[in-house]
Amino acid sequence: MPETKNDLANLQEDVLDAKLSTKSLSLNMGPSHPASHGTVRFHIELDGEIITKLDPEIGFLHRGFEKSCENSTWTQCLPYTDRLNYLSSMCNNFGFLTAVEKLAGIEIPERAKYIRTIGAELHRLCDHLTCVGAMAMELGGFTPFLWAIEARDILWDRVAELTGARVTTSYGRIGGVNRDLPEGWVQKVKDSLVRVAELRDDIDALLTHNRIFLERTRGTGKMSAEDAINYGFTGPMLRASGVDYDVRKAHPYWVYDRVDFEVPLGSEGDNYDRYYLRIAEMKESERIILQCFEQMEPGPILVDDWRYVLPPKNEVYSTIEGVIGHFKIVMEGVKIPAGTVYSYTESPNGELGWYLVSDGSGRPYKVHCRAPGIPLLGGLEHMVVGSLLPDLIPTFDLINMIGGEVEQ
Amino acid sequence: MSEEKRTELVNVTIDGIPTQVPPGTNLVEAAKAVGVEIPHYCYHPGLSIAANCRMCLVETNKHPPGKLVPGCQITVMEGMEVTTQSKRVKDQQRAVQEFLLLHHPVDCAICDQAGECRLQDYYQEYDYKPSRLDSPKWMKNKRKVLGPTIVLDQERCIMCTRCVRFMKEVAEDPVLGVFGRGTREVIDTFPGKTLDNNYSGNIVDLCPVGALTWRDNRFRARAYFLTATPSICTGCERGCNVYLDHFQGVPYRYRPRENPEVNQYWMCDVGRLGYHALHDDRLVAARVDGEETEAEAAVLAAARKLGELSGKAAVVVSPLLSLEDALAVAALAKEGLGAKAIYVSGRAAGEGDRLLLRSDRNPNRKGVELAAQAMGLEVRAFDALQGAKVEGLLLAGLEIPADEAGFAEWAKKIPTVVAMGTNVSPLLGAAHVVLPLAPHSEAEGTFVNFQGRAQRFLAAYEPRGAALPGWAWAARLLRELGHETGWSSTREVFMDLGRKLPEGSLGTFDWDATPRRHLKGVVPLPGGTVDGRPAGMRELIPLRTGGTAA
Repeated sequence: MPETKNDLANLQEDVLDAKLSTKSLSLNMGPSHPASHGTVRFHIELDGEIITKLDPEIGFLHRGFEKSCENSTWTQCLPYTDRLNYLSSMCNNFGFLTAVEKLAGIEIPERAKYIRTIGAELHRLCDHLTCVGAMAMELGGFTPFLWAIEARDILWDRVAELTGARVTTSYGRIGGVNRDLPEGWVQKVKDSLVRVAELRDDIDALLTHNRIFLERTRGTGKMSAEDAINYGFTGPMLRASGVDYDVRKAHPYWVYDRVDFEVPLGSEGDNYDRYYLRIAEMKESERIILQCFEQMEPGPILVDDWRYVLPPKNEVYSTIEGVIGHFKIVMEGVKIPAGTVYSYTESPNGELGWYLVSDGSGRPYKVHCRAPGIPLLGGLEHMVVGSLLPDLIPTFDLINMIGGEVEQ
Repeated sequence: MSEEKRTELVNVTIDGIPTQVPPGTNLVEAAKAVGVEIPHYCYHPGLSIAANCRMCLVETNKHPPGKLVPGCQITVMEGMEVTTQSKRVKDQQRAVQEFLLLHHPVDCAICDQAGECRLQDYYQEYDYKPSRLDSPKWMKNKRKVLGPTIVLDQERCIMCTRCVRFMKEVAEDPVLGVFGRGTREVIDTFPGKTLDNNYSGNIVDLCPVGALTWRDNRFRARAYFLTATPSICTGCERGCNVYLDHFQGVPYRYRPRENPEVNQYWMCDVGRLGYHALHDDRLVAARVDGEETEAEAAVLAAARKLGELSGKAAVVVSPLLSLEDALAVAALAKEGLGAKAIYVSGRAAGEGDRLLLRSDRNPNRKGVELAAQAMGLEVRAFDALQGAKVEGLLLAGLEIPADEAGFAEWAKKIPTVVAMGTNVSPLLGAAHVVLPLAPHSEAEGTFVNFQGRAQRFLAAYEPRGAALPGWAWAARLLRELGHETGWSSTREVFMDLGRKLPEGSLGTFDWDATPRRHLKGVVPLPGGTVDGRPAGMRELIPLRTGGTAA
């Protein structure tokens, strides 16, 4: 029995504040969840609202593309690479081709290098816009999503003019690219980039200092630099943790050593850094594209070697040499010298690596793709365990998991 | 290898790879032994050396520096070092290729050879440069009929003279010759002669380009869509090793498959035309009393009719059946029908020749006899059948060495006739139950040729309609007659009944030695893949370095 009034009050307070007993709850999220983009199922163990265990189950988009490549010619693998990260298919196209060309020892023409850089950066913009816009939407802000999609659509129109397709471009060819820049395209891209920059700044203005947004992203999904490296993180997720590694700077390819751009870095390794780093990277992509336009000169867009590229059509239709070259490449594929290669480029989500084995025939003997998304998804549990369930949403969104790439 | 043997070999180094080859080996073969390809058009291991295409020129240390020598003609010498990768050699290969293509018509799109053409292969590998011709191409006769089987396109010809040498040396019917000189040079028949020879088809295989075409399947199939299945020719008891080239379940041609002990590199036209029977007038449905019916109903009817006879049915086995089919049918005759003998039918004998064709036109007479022996059955000649007292007749295979209509009339008097056959035949008129058989293109099995050599063949595609291999029908009939066999594949039939074959009758034959389709490492390609080969064993097609004349 309470001795004093004060004790009584204490007791009542204790009773009122008594912790509710919690018990572990097993929760399925996905594979089609309205607050996540990407088809993945999470098996989550919850203690109250705290995540204690998270097991992502992938495979809903698995197509066995690496195996399929073994039954296709080297050129025919290209449409498969479109469908890895379908938001940035040109990065995949050109990454794969860079690996093939490294294996064959082909040096592509200067203009092709510039076009590849421009294409890859355009698609990097598209990828980041989608990631940022979709994340904002899933945190409850629909407007940034509409702006991001508007910007992406403008860029996709430019991509369509360049490649003939908005999403699955298949634009590269072994030894260069499929076709040259269309008439008047450069100016159109410059104009488009102005509008994209406006929209990007709008998104920036709406989100970056938004209280709700900050509460949801600041300090959530944290990953230390050491852990990020250990988990195999690359790309924006790694750089948000403060590690200065960008393949474009560390191992320059195409013309990245000739253009001036910064690699934005984060410091906290939280979702806010990941978001803001993407905004910053978009500005750099824009700079790269504009510099490429300044630097590039007219010239061939494909190597002049009929072992690797189709002969020009006038030769095919009128000379036996041309028709044989065409026939052999179409029917049997480009013969890539026997050997193995690992080649890597910076795709929007990180290092896209290709391990290729050729037996000297027109088809790959083995293709392995190091998709940047797999290690990121592997680190997801580490990032969200101990935090609230709602923190999973921005964390997962900023991984930017693309099913086509992670599940191959 | 013993010391003595070693001294018989010659040490040579090819592109830095040391090897030992028997003396007398030419450089092309020696290089092939270490996996180095020396390109060649005119050279063929089965023909004399002409050394006229100049594609195989290489450098060696036994000849003056910078002098190129033909790899097909020069034989190995002790300590010889051969270089096939030097700039001089590469320039020569490109120059030869450019000259060969200079007046070559732009024909790939309509050429039967496209896809298996050496001009294409070598162009892509050794030339890959644009044309430098600035004048019109030289025109020649594009459809010169050489004889009943062969048409020559003189524009496509590269004058390797393989065909001329083959007709002279192998077929010993020298009707082809080279006429004219320089750009006007053409292959033609000598005046007043026609190319009409049982071995004419081989020159089409030999032709490295699309100049010689086989009239039988000219413009019928694209070579790059065909799948090649290792098979055995059923034209005579020689059992020539062949590839059966087929596409989407339709056979398009036979090509000889190299086997030095049976057919070397060749096959005859009689056998070559045999593929038609695999496709035309096929029997694809079971029938009971002339009505098409389900296979099960036909088996039941046949078993009921045959079961009633107990011992009085005569079993006629065609030597076109495989060894496994014959074993199963013999088991059916012995255990299911209580027969003491089988009658061996088969195609009537024809004329043989000195090269490959044998007078017995059946691929597996030895095998059928062995099967009968294995099951303890007496083998009787077909002629003895019509003299015997027969109350029931089981015809396994419809090929008979007698007048078919006459035999059918005789057979109509027999109360019970069960016939298994691959093709439509007048004999079917006498049959109460008809069971469709799968020929050797649709089933796997073994033929035993006249030398006693057991040779496996593979199924090229699925059996048509309700057709089944002979052993499968035999197994079903045996089951209905109360004998469960448990066979579910050709291999199981051989492993079960093959043990009863006379000891050593198949020599060192190993049923499993022939790779089967779905073995590990053999990837069946999906139809219409870009390299053109639908599902099949691409690995088994010797496009360039194999011994087959392709």
